[in-house]
Amino acid sequence: MLTIGMVGGNQRVLAHHSFAMFDTAKRVTLAGTVTAFEWTNPHAYIELDVPGEGGRVKHWSVELGSTSILMQGGWKFNDLKNGDKVSVILSPLRSGEAGGLLVQITLPDGRVLGNGPGPAGARP
Amino acid sequence: MNRSVLLAVSFCGAFLPCVAQTQSPAAPPDLSGVWAPYRGGRGADPALAPPPASPIVLTPAYADAYRARRAAEDEAAKRGEPLGTAAVLCTPYGMPRMMSVALYPVEILQRPGQITVITEAFSEVRRIYMNQPQLPIGEVPPGYYGHSVGRWDGNTLVVDTIAIKESVLSYQNLPHSDRMRITERIRLVTNDFLHDQITIEDPVVLEKPVVYTLAYRRMPNYKMVEFVCENNREYIDEKGAVRMRVREK
Repeated sequence: MLTIGMVGGNQRVLAHHSFAMFDTAKRVTLAGTVTAFEWTNPHAYIELDVPGEGGRVKHWSVELGSTSILMQGGWKFNDLKNGDKVSVILSPLRSGEAGGLLVQITLPDGRVLGNGPGPAGARP
Repeated sequence: MNRSVLLAVSFCGAFLPCVAQTQSPAAPPDLSGVWAPYRGGRGADPALAPPPASPIVLTPAYADAYRARRAAEDEAAKRGEPLGTAAVLCTPYGMPRMMSVALYPVEILQRPGQITVITEAFSEVRRIYMNQPQLPIGEVPPGYYGHSVGRWDGNTLVVDTIAIKESVLSYQNLPHSDRMRITERIRLVTNDFLHDQITIEDPVVLEKPVVYTLAYRRMPNYKMVEFVCENNREYIDEKGAVRMRVREK
């Protein structure tokens, strides 16, 4: 499942590189299964298998903030495990590859987390 | 300089009033603790937020190249292909940029002879040796943190830093020469807010000193988070642009 929408506003740069490689004016919504959750620096990552048309699975790499920034935003290192079904909103890579920057995730228990401090999804 | 507080000695007796003889060069404030950048902005107390920075004026030999680099950075970012920097490769920031990285706190450990600053981003460490003369530029091997000496000027910690490697970009990604000197005036504005006024002098690159202030707020119970750059999926491509590696599965 994949939806692309446009939203306004700029996001602040909060890590060790510019986020201009992500199209932060776009939103892609994915529903999929977690194949890896890497609680690492300089960024944490979620690897996601997303079922598409005809039962074909597309794999996505989702970049998060650093572990410190995520903890300031309410994340814990064990909030995700392999096999979890999640819904993810991301800003996609401009290159067209299957990757993006997390905006917001809905965990299996219904909790909604963003990509750092502030309201869910307010900024990376 | 001995900054320890001399205890008051009281002479009290049956025939004498109590007289406190106090010789107390006041102990310096204790800056120890964890401090998070405080950038001000909407709703911020102007007395606590950092004052505006001075303009950056480069010498003619450096001005055009700096302006061109900034323009190229802006243009590349608009194109969605941001130019890579050393930080993309997980190289530490060094002085002075390490003192304020995004939302990451810094921890100050204060002892009479040495004040140590540990940053959360990249776990950088700088050591400020107290009450020692500065070494001559040219006698210290250039590095990311250089050589820092400090002294107390009343309640303000004054730190002098030299010997920053020329490949380590300065404030606002400014270039610098081996003559760069960084002077910091660090003080508690209130018990919970700290200001670090930074002056960068460089007779080769800067027409006049650059002065800016970093503000911090105290994080009373915060435990510094480790930061080991073990999973860096960003890289710089052949055009100098930052890219992210995606996985096939």
